[in-house]
Amino acid sequence: MGKKIDRGFARKLREEIEIWEQEGMVSPILKDQILAYYKMKARLGGPAGTGKLITALSILGSVLAGVGVILFVAANWSAIPVEGKLAVIFVPMAASYALGYLLRYERGDFPRVGAGFILLGALIFGAGIFLVAQIYHLSVHFANGPLVWGLGVLPLAYLLRFKTLLTLSLIVFLIWLGMETHSWLPPEAFEPSGPVPGESKFISLYFMAGLALWGLGLMHRGYEGFRKISDPYIVLGILCTFGTGFLFTFDLYGGHFGAPVLWPFYLALSVLFLLSLFGLALSSEKPSGWVWEVVFLLVLLGLALYLTFLFSSLPGKGHRDFVLSANLIFALAVLIVLFLGYLREFPVYVNVALLFFVLDVFVRYFDFFWELFPRSLFFIIGGLILLTGGVLLERKRRKILGSFRKPEDED
Amino acid sequence: MRIKFFLLILLQILILAGMIGYRHYWVETGEKIMLRVSPVDPRDLFRGDYVHLAYEISSLDLDRLSVKEVFRPREKVYVILEKEPDDTWKAAGIAKSLPSGKKFIQGMVEFEKKDSSRWEITLKDDLGNLHPLSPRWWSEMHPGGRVTFCLDRRGRVTSFAKEEPSRKDPCRGGPSLTGVIADIKATPFRLLQVEYGIESFFVQEGKGRDIESGRAGQDLRAEAVLRKDGKAMLKSLWVDGKAFH
Repeated sequence: MGKKIDRGFARKLREEIEIWEQEGMVSPILKDQILAYYKMKARLGGPAGTGKLITALSILGSVLAGVGVILFVAANWSAIPVEGKLAVIFVPMAASYALGYLLRYERGDFPRVGAGFILLGALIFGAGIFLVAQIYHLSVHFANGPLVWGLGVLPLAYLLRFKTLLTLSLIVFLIWLGMETHSWLPPEAFEPSGPVPGESKFISLYFMAGLALWGLGLMHRGYEGFRKISDPYIVLGILCTFGTGFLFTFDLYGGHFGAPVLWPFYLALSVLFLLSLFGLALSSEKPSGWVWEVVFLLVLLGLALYLTFLFSSLPGKGHRDFVLSANLIFALAVLIVLFLGYLREFPVYVNVALLFFVLDVFVRYFDFFWELFPRSLFFIIGGLILLTGGVLLERKRRKILGSFRKPEDED
Repeated sequence: MRIKFFLLILLQILILAGMIGYRHYWVETGEKIMLRVSPVDPRDLFRGDYVHLAYEISSLDLDRLSVKEVFRPREKVYVILEKEPDDTWKAAGIAKSLPSGKKFIQGMVEFEKKDSSRWEITLKDDLGNLHPLSPRWWSEMHPGGRVTFCLDRRGRVTSFAKEEPSRKDPCRGGPSLTGVIADIKATPFRLLQVEYGIESFFVQEGKGRDIESGRAGQDLRAEAVLRKDGKAMLKSLWVDGKAFH
């Protein structure tokens, strides 16, 4: 852990750096950069490690307190009158927001803790929605709940440029998507098709949702004012796309990846995705290699649409070619994202690509060698591959990330 | 910045207050009706314990209601209601458009099953009396087998179980009939499963099981409040005349 920047050091540095500049040891540009760096460090109250720790603790604290409020709502104490329950929502919600604003913007001495309180306020707002639903016995499939929660928090996330609030919003939107589409499908849609579970019908939907978020993230990166909040879109988008895309690499080709009845959702997500690419094309600062990425994402969308609408489940062993193709496409996608991450010095791409690379190798190892090797040999070789691969990959990952210089983002 | 921030917080407060105010207005101005129910008990992650309510008007016999139309999943329907002597309401018809001059409740079609079976079982008790019974479903039990039927206070079957020495009191103290199956008759009919958005009744954590376990033979009704367009909201659950809100 580094030390906090004290005022004595800052004053001494300013004096010294003037001398260094006069003696030609540093250029005026470098002087300004060094002073700006230490000024920012002092303003944030400490070095990067400490700041991240405070942010992590604040988020964790907010989430724990928020979960506490949600659990209080869930317990539904019949001894507490409705007015009392509502007071438990309204008073802490208003207090959290006010305290958060005070600490972060008015006094400004606890910016990260303040951000944590604002997140807590947003969590209590969500608990309030479900409390109202509970008081009035609204149906369990209350999909409008997450939707209203997300829509209520989203403007705040944009106003404050808070990644935590935006992440919360996007997660509840994804939950809403699942709840809403679930109610669109008849009960028999969830019956398994051979060994393939009925839930496989959600794979395409979340794959497209991931692409839409990914596209929105790219668009946000293209505009200076929104770049700071592009990460939640990209991280959730890429995780959603790769997470569901990974499922295509299994032998699920005896089932269905989507349901035509959900076409309004596929259409909306595809339009959102295309609009975000259009927005990216119009932006002033497009990330390097963006054209290739757009082409790559469009191909993925095309594949998802094909598997949703044109593909019908294959009988017997006709799946092998599809599984092989899906594995090749998945491996190619991992490589493309890794390459783009390296090209743009973007750690998220590198981390996610390596995560799914390891996951894929691990799962395929099980698929192919489980029957071939004796069990003991299988586990010994698997263990050695994982240990060696883990060390090599971690070294490579650190090397790649170490070569990036990315300013720290917060909230 | 400060004004915008507090305006957005005010917006969130207004959303919550609006949701409460709207529902409150609905309860105050809507028409209240009683519906017959039978519960089971799952759990909802967001909102704690709740009792799942299946209404008698949730499963409609299209043949008995003389309805010829075909229904699609998620289609909006209006179930026409008719009052019974005990002040509860039963289904008397189904309309796809808003009915006029009749009492109705708005619902959404879950599914239509063309080959559902209406079961008529004749049970011979140990004294030799024959009892015609109509369970809502049937499992693989054949004539000659001994069965215990659990009944509600109106003598209708709520559940049944094959008689086994290890399984004592399957009806948990409620009214029952035990005997030998004399006859099984299955009549095919068109079933329409309808959802009204009032299928969940939230109770204090841990209390759901109490309602579920104590329900044998109890008179269970739900009080719903109808909007002018027939949309219903659940107001209270009545167990043997005692209201839960």
